[in-house]
Amino acid sequence: MDSRYDIQRRGGGGGINVSGGSVGGSPALTGAQSRRRKIPPRPADYKLQIIIIGSRGVGKTSLMERFTDDTFCEACKSTVGVDFKIKTVELRGKKIRLQIWDTAGQERFNSITSAYYRSAKGIVLVYDITKQETFDDLPKWMKMIDKYASEDAELLVVGNKLDCETDRIITRQQGERFASRISGMRFCEASAKDNFNVDEMFLKLVDDILSKMPLEVPNKALSNSILSLQPEPEVPPELPPPRMRCC
Amino acid sequence: MAADNLPTEFDVVILGTGLAESVIAAACSRVGQRVLHIDRRNYYAGNWASFTFNGLLAWIQEYKEQQKATDSDEGWREKLEEGEEPLLLNSVDTSISNLQVFCYASEEPEEEEEEVATPVTIPTLQNPAPPTEEGDTQEHQVEGERAQEEQTTPTEGDTAQTGEPALPNPEVKKRRITYAKILKEGRRFNIDLVSKLLYSQGSLVNLLIKSNVSRYAEFKNISRILTYRNGKVEQVPCSRADVFGSKQLTVVEKRMLMKFLTFCLDYEQHPEEYLDFTERSFWEFLQTKKLTENLQHFVLHSIAMVTPGTHTGEGLRATQHFLRCLGRYGNTPFLFPLYGMGEIPQCFCRMCAVFGGIYCLRHSVQCLVLDKESGRCKAVIDTCGQRISCSHFVVEEGYIREEQRRGVAYRQISRAVLITDRSLLPSETEQQISLLIELCSSSMTCMPGTYLVHLTCPSSGTAQEDLAPVVSRLFTEPTSAEEQGEVGSEKPTLLWVLYFNMRDSSGVDKSSYSLPSNVYLCTGPDPALGSEHAITLAETVFQQLLPDEEFCPPAPNPEDIVYDGEVPQGEGAGFGEPVQPEINEEEQITESEQDNEGSQTDVAAQIPTPAPPTEE
Repeated sequence: MDSRYDIQRRGGGGGINVSGGSVGGSPALTGAQSRRRKIPPRPADYKLQIIIIGSRGVGKTSLMERFTDDTFCEACKSTVGVDFKIKTVELRGKKIRLQIWDTAGQERFNSITSAYYRSAKGIVLVYDITKQETFDDLPKWMKMIDKYASEDAELLVVGNKLDCETDRIITRQQGERFASRISGMRFCEASAKDNFNVDEMFLKLVDDILSKMPLEVPNKALSNSILSLQPEPEVPPELPPPRMRCC
Repeated sequence: MAADNLPTEFDVVILGTGLAESVIAAACSRVGQRVLHIDRRNYYAGNWASFTFNGLLAWIQEYKEQQKATDSDEGWREKLEEGEEPLLLNSVDTSISNLQVFCYASEEPEEEEEEVATPVTIPTLQNPAPPTEEGDTQEHQVEGERAQEEQTTPTEGDTAQTGEPALPNPEVKKRRITYAKILKEGRRFNIDLVSKLLYSQGSLVNLLIKSNVSRYAEFKNISRILTYRNGKVEQVPCSRADVFGSKQLTVVEKRMLMKFLTFCLDYEQHPEEYLDFTERSFWEFLQTKKLTENLQHFVLHSIAMVTPGTHTGEGLRATQHFLRCLGRYGNTPFLFPLYGMGEIPQCFCRMCAVFGGIYCLRHSVQCLVLDKESGRCKAVIDTCGQRISCSHFVVEEGYIREEQRRGVAYRQISRAVLITDRSLLPSETEQQISLLIELCSSSMTCMPGTYLVHLTCPSSGTAQEDLAPVVSRLFTEPTSAEEQGEVGSEKPTLLWVLYFNMRDSSGVDKSSYSLPSNVYLCTGPDPALGSEHAITLAETVFQQLLPDEEFCPPAPNPEDIVYDGEVPQGEGAGFGEPVQPEINEEEQITESEQDNEGSQTDVAAQIPTPAPPTEE
């Protein structure tokens, strides 16, 4: 309780939060943020949005959570309450804040909004190697991507559930062939459960995105005069997800 | 796709994904209600939707073809039980009428050509910075000129040109944009059916911030408002700096305007100043305030944006609202969402889904199941014949049948959508009052090299009858002279025009509908510039539905959501005890790009009125 309003302003590198948050000494930050924000992080050089799409049950949320939280929950069937997750990585000497979005379950009845695709710099398209129909659905997702996603978005198709090799239906070659038909699309197989290839695939995707971006242009100039109504929450990556008690 | 069955029990079923319905969906889901949100169409947002160019063509086709009511498959009757009776819903939408398309772009096949980076045109009223790819989004106001036909020449010296007029290099012919090119680039268009802006302190922006739905969208500043008057385009002075920097106002006028605007900012503190005029028009009131005609025009048409006949109280309120919205994000009161207004309902739908709402497009309700005794709705039967029980039903007006509407007389909104090849320039036209918004490609609503213009007014006749006169005065059809690449008129050239009327049910009183007490109606889009009506409606319905719940409390930051490792997710709302982060007022001020003068978008607005007969 006593640390609730304990805001430290450190001098030197990146001490002041540029986007939102109080710059003055006022107790403007929330309890959780202030407790975490003892040492203000260096602001990210880039902020990138990545979306995950694919049919129901292929493991989209699992892949995301494996990457961002290094967790896996077999029993968790439906995705409720998960909006997006943040992960900050360092690549090519840059600090990149990734915002990884989940479909919020709207794929269940084929009702994902067009708005979902809009600002994505990277798109992860997931199927389940043990379920034929999830692979057959891929062209349908590609249609949506063509229609609504930015032309510059990097694409990655992932055959998930590699841990279920014995139940495999879709061969690796089939997956590769699908990806090869789409210019610029990468392919890989992974397992969220066994934590195989998950970090690698996300990092490779981010690397591809970065390689296309102008090197020294700071983030703001890229979004010329585009506003968000609110600052995004800044969370230092070093700390574990916060546990809050409502007391 | 693996077939999936809808659950058969919900707390709230919502039919229609327009703005009000989507806000209600998000609000209900947010407080733990089980929500089923469906729409008979295969796209979100209903009459609030935005379309790619090809999508719009499909939409036009759908409405032009006389829709026949789907054969009612009486199988649903079997789902009714003892003591229940059905209330049928509409299966055909009749809210759009009088669609007319005019294609002016050349129908030649697309040539292989180099990209036209920037149309080289005479600079419009903007900062002297060279026109960039971003161009300007302009909102123009054309005022009713009282029976005066201006006959000035096209190349007006008195139009406020800044910088050197960049006459096109004679060798560089601007390539015409052909229809084929528009089709090819069709996905770069996001054409809204409803044309609105966001007031920076309006109820929609405040709700977006409060609920955190704002994180799902991005916005652009509208940096200037222009007005046409007496054959000239002028910038509307909005801020103190504008007023004092304005070259159009005399010193005396500046003082007058500042004094008046200062009064308006807190007008309720000085009731003696306007009490005598509450029943009289704002126009009359302005005339008594020692304002020059110039200033009366600015205030009425460009700041309050009301019709001359509007009552004083409303005019003052509107002026105050405008003034209070200044400076929150930029120089004008307005923002516009990237990719168009059609994004906003989708953003609320996402929030609903995040908290467990189920979404089903291409799905509708055939009938409600009413309990004969209580008259309340206990279930719905969907178009797949499935019975779904619910405690509350929220429905968009268009789904209600004639039988439930007692003598409802609708108003209409006249709309025009224009694709043009350059920004609107000052013109010598006889002006007319209507609402016009011009968007450039940086708003992600049209392909580079084109501008998207939306016109709106309350209908007198068909949209074409109401708006074509304005269109022909401000824009021009391609002529053979222009096809040679000559610089002809300064007017932008029309490439493609769509007219349509949209039903305006926003003013219809609830009592005109005979519906069960737990069926809540959402009326359709209204013609006003902001979204106040829909948000107020959503909040009202929510408070009737769930009187003890908070309306759209801030969603927790994703990092603040506790996932107790032992408890599987997916239970109820999916997380334990989300603690609401305190939303600090200061944090709402964003890093807006206010310093980037040259890159801001310009939009100008006009006032909504029906096309007036010539005034004396």
